[in-house]
This record gives sequence, C-alpha cells and structure tokens, in this order.
Amino acid sequence: MRLDKFIMASATTLALTASTALAADETIKVGVLHSLSGTMAISETTLKDTMLLLIEQQNAKGGVLGKQLEAVVVDPASDWPLFAEKARELLTVHEVDVIFGNWTSVSRKSVLPVIEELNGLLFYPVQYEGEESSKNVFYTGAAPNQQAIPATDYYLEELGVEKFALLGTDYVYPRTTNKILEQYLKDKGISADDIFVNYTPFGHSDWSKIVADVTALGADGKKVGVISTINGDANIGFYKELAAAGVSADDIPVVAFSVGEEELSGLDTANLVGHLAAWNYFQSADAEANTAFIDAWKAKMGSERVTNDPMEAHYIGFNMWVNAVEAAGTTDVDAVRTAMYGQEFPNLTGGTAVMLPNHHLAKPVLIGEIQEDGQFDIISQTEEVAGDAWTDFLPESAVLVSDWKDLGCGMYNTTTKTCVQIKSNY
Amino acid sequence: MARIIRALVLVISALTMSSGAAAAQTSAINEILAENAKIIAKGSRKTIQPAIDALRDSGLPEAQVVLEKWRAKEIWMRKEDQRFFLTKTEDKKTYQLFEIASGVPAGEAAKKALKQIKPNSGVRALISAALVRFQLMDPNPAKRRASLTAIQRDPSAEQLFALRGAIADEPDADIKAEKQRIEHLLTLAFDPDPVARVNAIRSFEGALDVDVRAALNPLLATTTIAVSEQVPDVNIARRLTVATAPGDDGGLTGPARDLDFDAAYALLVTDGAPAAISTEVQKQALAEHVVDGKVGGIALSDLNSTDSRDRAYAALALAGKVAPAPSLTDRVAAIKAHTFYAAYTEPDSDVTDAAREVLADIETQVEIYGILDLSLDALSLASIYFLAAIGLAITFGVMRVINMAHGEFIMMGAYTGFVVQQIIPDYTISILVALPLAFAVTFGAGVALERLVIRYLYHRPLETLLATFGISIALQQIAKNIFGTQARPLTSPEWLDGAWEINPVVAISWIRVAIFVLGLAFLIFLLFVLNRTRLGLEVRAVTQNPRMAASMGIDPDRIRMLTFGLGSGIAGIAGVAIGLFAKVTSGLGQDYIVQSFMTVVVGGVGNLWGVLAGASLIGSLQKVIEAFNPSNTLAAQTYMIVFIIIFIQFRPKGIFALKGRAAGD
Repeated sequence: MRLDKFIMASATTLALTASTALAADETIKVGVLHSLSGTMAISETTLKDTMLLLIEQQNAKGGVLGKQLEAVVVDPASDWPLFAEKARELLTVHEVDVIFGNWTSVSRKSVLPVIEELNGLLFYPVQYEGEESSKNVFYTGAAPNQQAIPATDYYLEELGVEKFALLGTDYVYPRTTNKILEQYLKDKGISADDIFVNYTPFGHSDWSKIVADVTALGADGKKVGVISTINGDANIGFYKELAAAGVSADDIPVVAFSVGEEELSGLDTANLVGHLAAWNYFQSADAEANTAFIDAWKAKMGSERVTNDPMEAHYIGFNMWVNAVEAAGTTDVDAVRTAMYGQEFPNLTGGTAVMLPNHHLAKPVLIGEIQEDGQFDIISQTEEVAGDAWTDFLPESAVLVSDWKDLGCGMYNTTTKTCVQIKSNY
Repeated sequence: MARIIRALVLVISALTMSSGAAAAQTSAINEILAENAKIIAKGSRKTIQPAIDALRDSGLPEAQVVLEKWRAKEIWMRKEDQRFFLTKTEDKKTYQLFEIASGVPAGEAAKKALKQIKPNSGVRALISAALVRFQLMDPNPAKRRASLTAIQRDPSAEQLFALRGAIADEPDADIKAEKQRIEHLLTLAFDPDPVARVNAIRSFEGALDVDVRAALNPLLATTTIAVSEQVPDVNIARRLTVATAPGDDGGLTGPARDLDFDAAYALLVTDGAPAAISTEVQKQALAEHVVDGKVGGIALSDLNSTDSRDRAYAALALAGKVAPAPSLTDRVAAIKAHTFYAAYTEPDSDVTDAAREVLADIETQVEIYGILDLSLDALSLASIYFLAAIGLAITFGVMRVINMAHGEFIMMGAYTGFVVQQIIPDYTISILVALPLAFAVTFGAGVALERLVIRYLYHRPLETLLATFGISIALQQIAKNIFGTQARPLTSPEWLDGAWEINPVVAISWIRVAIFVLGLAFLIFLLFVLNRTRLGLEVRAVTQNPRMAASMGIDPDRIRMLTFGLGSGIAGIAGVAIGLFAKVTSGLGQDYIVQSFMTVVVGGVGNLWGVLAGASLIGSLQKVIEAFNPSNTLAAQTYMIVFIIIFIQFRPKGIFALKGRAAGD
C-alpha cells in the first residue's frame, strides 16, 4: 500500500517535471527576486508589481523571440541570506533566463556569489553606493556620481552652501556615500570643520537635538545645507522636527537621496515645501513615455499609487534586456551580456539611457523641490551622466575602472595595468 | 538671418499689442526679458544677476509684478521666439497665453511649445533681494516682513541704505523694531563709519540670535601672515607659535604650536621663498644620480640622515643636475627669521575689539543656555519614555505580567489616531476624539488578551513571555496587512505646530510640551486611582495576596482584567502622542518596548515614582552622552545600555526598590 503510494507520487512528480520542461520550451522565464514580506516589503512589492506590468505589456506585444514571457516570483522575505538561497532556486530549479531584483545593498552582496557561480544575470534597480562591478549584474540605479555628487554640486554652485551637515542612517550605503562626499567636499575646498556628520539608528525618532545642532551650525555666518542619507521611516520624525523648529528650505535646505514619491505619501508635506531630493526620475517628469507609463501603472494598481525612480530603472533595464535578447537571437547569458553593451532605450524623462561597458547606465540627474501635493517640482535636469562603478574621489578607487566589453574586467587597476579580480569578493 | 527673424518677431509682437501706451511699456519689459532670455531660461544663480538687475533698474512700473511672478514660477517661455507669457490651462495640454505686463490675451500654445521658467531657491533668493526696494514700504505687512527676510539672506551695502530710508515711516511697531535690528546687523558689516559700526555691535550685547553671531563672526576672520622685519600696519589678532623643526609640537611642557613646520614654510613660499621638495622626491632624485656608489660626492652608506641627503642634493643642484631646493637647515633658518601672526581681515581694531568682546559675552551665554536646552530635551525624552512605560508599570510593575505585546498596544493607539483622522478632517477635534477612542480600543484589546491568554498563564511567567511575544508578532503582521508597511501620517493640530522659543537658543517644540503635560497628567491620574480609590485598593490587595483579597469579597479575576485593561489603555494613549511627533508604522511598538522595560526595571518594579525616576535617568543620560558625541547617536544608545547593565548589577531592584513583604521575596 505504502509502496503503491510512493510509486504513484513519483510518477506524478515525473509527469509534472516533464510538463514543466515542455512548458519551458514555449516560454522564457523571468525571475523576480523582491521581498514581499518583512521590512522591505512596501518598497519591493511595488517593484514586483512593476515587473509583472512590464511582462504583461511585452506579452501583449507578442513576447520575445516569438515566445511568451513567464514571471517566476519568489519571496526572499527581507532576509539577506534567504536572497542567496532564492537566487539559487531561481537559477537551478526554475532555470530562469534573467533575474530582476534586490533593493538593499546587503541583499545584493549576498546574491553576488550565487549569480557569479551559476553565471546568471541580475538587473539591480536601486541607487547605491558604487564600489562594485560584477560581470553578472547590470546596475540600472544611480551610482554616487549620478546622484550624490551632482546634488552636492548643486548645493555648492546654485545655493551657495558653505557648510554641510551629512546626516545618515547607520549602515553601508550612507557611510560609503558620506565617505565619498566628505572627500569630494574637501577637494572642493570645504574645510573639515565645516562638515558635520551624524549617524542615527534605523527608525530613529528623537530628532530634536540633532535639528538644534544643525541650526546652530549657521552661527559663523556661513550658509548651511543638509545632505540626508536617512533611510526609511526615520525620515518622518526628522522632517516633522525640522518643520516644528521652523527651519525654512530657503535658509537650511535638505537634499535627500532616499526620499521619493512613495516615502512622501506617509507625510504631511505642507511644512516641507522647497526641500529637495535628487534622483534620475520623478513622477512629475514631463514626457510622453512617462505619461503612458503612469497611466498604465494607475490603471493596474489604482489611481492613488505613485511611480518612483527604481520603477523607472526596472522599466529601462527590462526593455534593454528584451532588445538585447532580440539582437542576440537567444537568451543565453553570455550572448545577451555582449548584446547589452551600447543598448539604448528612451528613458521616462525624455532622454535616452545607454548601457555602458561597466554595466552602469548613462542617465540624467534630476533635482526636485517638494511640493504641497507630495510630488516633486523638477528644477534642475542635467544631460545624461555616465555611471561610474569606482568613484574618482577616493584615492584607492580612483585608479580602478570597470570595462567588461574590452578589458573583460570589473576591477582593473589603471596604474599597474592589471585586473584585480574577476569574481566579486568585496 | 537671425537678425531678420528677430526683427520679424519684434514686428509681430508689436502688432499684437493693443493700445499705444501699453504697447510701449509692454515692449519695454518684453525687450528686457528678450535680451536676457538665455540666462533666464538657464536659471542658474551664477549667471542670472544681470537679468534681475536689468528688471529692477528698468524703472518700469510693472517690474515688481514681473519679478514676483517670476519668483512664483508663473512665467512661461514660448520656445520658438523666446518670448515670455503668463498662462492659464484647463487640460494641461494647451495653454492660453497672456501678455506679462498687461494681462492681455496673446493666443494659445501647446504645452510642447512652452517651457515653464522655474527659478531654483538660489535664484529666488536673488529675486527676493531685488524686490526689497519695492517691498520695504509695501502696504501689505506680510510683504514688508518678506522683504526683511530677503535682506537677511542676501545682505549688502545697497540694502542698508534702502532699509534706512524705510524705517522712519514704518507704521507697524513690530516690523519697525525688526527693521531697526536688521539695520544694525547691516551697519556693523557695511557702514563706512567705524563709530557707527562699533555702536551697532554694542547694541547686540547679550543677543543670542544665530543671525547676530553669523554677522559678528565674519568680522573676526583672520589670515596668517609671516613678518621678517617690521610689523606692517595690519590689525593683529595675536602672535602665533610655530614649530621650528618637522614634528615639533611643543613637547609635553611647551606651548602647543599653532602652525606646524610644513604649513609655516608653505606660507613663506607664497611670500617668495623657494619651494621645498618632499623627502620622497628628494630620495628619488638622489637615486637617479648614483654614480659609482656615490651621489654628489657622498657615499651611499652615509646618506642616512636628512643633513647628508641635503648636502648630496645641494651638490647635485650645484652641478646643475637637479633643480635647486632649500635644505632643511635653510628652511629652519627661514622660519626662525620670521614672526608669524594671525591678522584680522577687518582693518579697524576698534571694530574687532568690540566684536570680540560682545561675541565672547554672547558665547558664554549661549553655552549656559545650551545646557538648559539640553536639559529640556532630556526632560522631553524622559516624558516620552515615561508615557510609553507607564502602562507597562501597571501590567509588569504591579501585576508582574511580562507583556511583550505592550509595544503593539502603543502601535494600535497610533493607528487608531490615524483612522480617526481619516474620518474627521479637523485635526483638533480628531485628536480629542482619538485620545479616548485609543484608550477604549486598547483597553478592549488588553482585556481580550488577559481573558483569552494571560489568565491561564499567571503562574508561568516564561510561557506568558513567549505567548505575548507571539501575539506581538501576529499583531504587527495584521497591522502590515491592513495599513501596509509604509508609514502613515498622523498630523498634529495647527496650534501644536512650531516650537516654544524661550530664547533663540532654548526652544522646544509644542508637541513635546504637550506630551510632557500628558505624561504628568497620567502620573497624577494613576497615583490618584491606585492610592485614593476603591479600585486602586483592590488592585493593590490582589497583587499582594490574591487569596486573601478573594476571601475579603474582592473578585481577583475582575480586578486583574480591569488592571490589565487600564495599563493597555494608557499604552494606546501614549501611541497617539508618539505618533504625533514621530511616525505611525507597524514597527512603532518595537522601538519603545525595550526602552519601556528598561525604564520600569531601572526605576524599580511596582512603583510609579520608580517609572518617573527611571525615565528621567534614561532620558537625561541619553542626551548627555549624545552631547559628548554628536556625530553618532547610535553609539550614545549603546553606551547608555552598557551603563544600565552596570547599574542593574549594583541596584538589581532599581532606584525605588520595594521593601518588606510587598517586595515578594
């Protein structure tokens, strides 16, 4: 009896495996590796929905290489080691051809070894701290020189800021970014005394003293500006305290790198009008492609939903991947990777994104002022800036370049003319 | 070609004008705009000034309106001919155009053909500064105040004279005082008469405002100068001590060196001394000229001191093989031959003396008030911890139930506040409704938790801990499912906006004052309930000896249920208060549960005064450590926890330890 059951079960399993194998021939599988539960769920669920929308739209256009696309959604549950496990599952069990996923840098770092070992392909859509270039990852979010540096330039040149407060949450992205910015400001002639740095824990809520410290910085007659890498819901207490202290954006502006449309929806923005954010995309960008994308998004998800920068990154990344597959005529990772270099696709802000040999995009940098309705008024938009994997402002990174196309190396030392490493073990 | 087009455009625009007089003016302002179209469209602070100046100095009556509209982002440019218009739109696709000065309709254009001129905040500040002369005597007091703010953001000598002309006729006493204050601020920086400047500086004795310090500090900016013979006619701040050898820092006993050796020599180089080369460069140059084991006639084995390397290098330089560079001895001699001073950039010593004295006095006061401000912050943080922990003081302190879901009751209260605000849009009423409602909701939740779970586990504390921990996780997930993980807004009513400014240094936001008052009210309320009412008596009786209490006719079950409900209900009210100043998320309770337990344990279990003491200790300790280490708030929290661990080692029962039989041991 038991044996019977076992045989039957195995037979069904076999049959099932066979049928999925058959199905695999007819569809191209796209892995979606975003947390659907846990602390990162709200941000990443939006990206999962974005991917489903993009795949749906592509299928309506006839799919890729004459085949339909099939989304394989897994949930790594905001658990960093689980990201690696789920990536392995996607590549070995589901045998997906490409993965779109991750949000936090720590989750990306945990996926890297798996992706490189199994030669997978990952599109990473979030602005990050740079200092990395993996053969198997395309970074469609902003590198520091596409967000932090232009925003700092804007402070120096347009707002005449002479004294900087770098406020951040205590983890890898703010610390690396602030390290780069500190060096950059010193190179620009800002003395170390005029740079105030503060790190707070995740979810910090007692901001009164820090805000008082920042306002007191103006005592020597220099214009003060705040660069905020504060992440997550700690921003809410920070902005509330700022408003309570009566800090006007015209006196002490705050530019944030991690506050977008989605985050502002949790705030009463009336007291924040005029504070700034720097991204490569804002929902308020005036372009036809953007209007179409927003309309499609709202039709699918509801009219109160907003779009944001990482969504645009997925939009560009996905469409470039589709074009690269069409160009290569196959979904083979190495062929697609080669076809990716130089891919161009219109971005949602009216320009064109180009995929560079260092696996980063050339994208414009936008600076927006917060408006009463929780949207951003774009007041500065640059030409496309080429993403730089290794920053030029830290001496140990300045000598490094990444060029997978001609040099075949993501960490090439230009002074010794050698490839430091092919695989990532940062 | 371009000229013809421009002429054509001018003709066309002239044709579209309605009346003759208006046309003349309109075209005048349009011409100014057209001439500056490029920089206006570019909108960069660095290049915009000519356009603003041209408008301001045009003398045209509509210049003020145009500047105001420009600042308000209401001006649009038609791309094809770079002409500027005001616009109106119904559908955000086609825009009706209006002449900038007259408001006469000027046709329509598609959005694509237009560009909105959006001055950034830097440009807006410049426009505001230009508007000052129009607005200083504007009939609207708000505009007059705005013009004063604009002057402060962009002070200049020119503004000073404009401002002086506008003080005497100012009707509003407050604005007049403000005008006089700003006039003094500008006088001390820009007036040509030193006596007037000194008087202006003296008028700020004891003023704590940041802008006063911001005006005084630049007067005391210094530069370092090196003097070889006679002291030149400059305003010397003080003589500097200089390192006379590399690495000389004055030793343990000597005075600290203001200037290190390299910096001092670098200063001499800017005054014409020959540039020094670094040791590495020197060594490399020597290595390149090794001949027969010798460099410049000195054997390699002897090149082990700075002196010998300098000699070898000098020999090479003499032979013309390397560029000459001063030896260490030369440099030491050069530095010793000079005296170094810090000199004020401000030449008038009366002004700097006055500024120094006034500023020193102000800074002492700022420091004293800074401590006061810190104490106020500490008091506020203590009251927040107190409010979060006081419910726990009842459930844990009095009933000895370790309720890990206490934080989630706080969260529930905060979400209740959010939901009420969705239904009642008036913030004042909604808060007044939310406070009792949050109490009711969490009271109910507390009673339910007690009835369904805790009453079965009264004698098994470990299992209570696990069960309530599980419930805490479940409640968080439920909140995520209902409200999403994005933080929700809980907005305070307008009368709680802003801060109570005792003086420019000591300030605390009203919302924190309100939380303080709320905490105090609950302390009094609970003291009253526990010590002066029948319920309080029964609660104390049941906690001390439930069997004895039962035999006296008290229903211990009912009392426990009510007590637990009361503790939970207060957590709900704390949630509304915390949501108002921080955020409402499903993880809100997690941020306070550890602090709350810490407060209760440090203060002493089973005593409301203990909670007060514990909250005050933890709150002030945290602020003091933060003040010592302003760059890392996380570190401050870590040090505090270390301190508390040590504290508990010495006073395991907290500050207010229960004594006698009530202590239960």
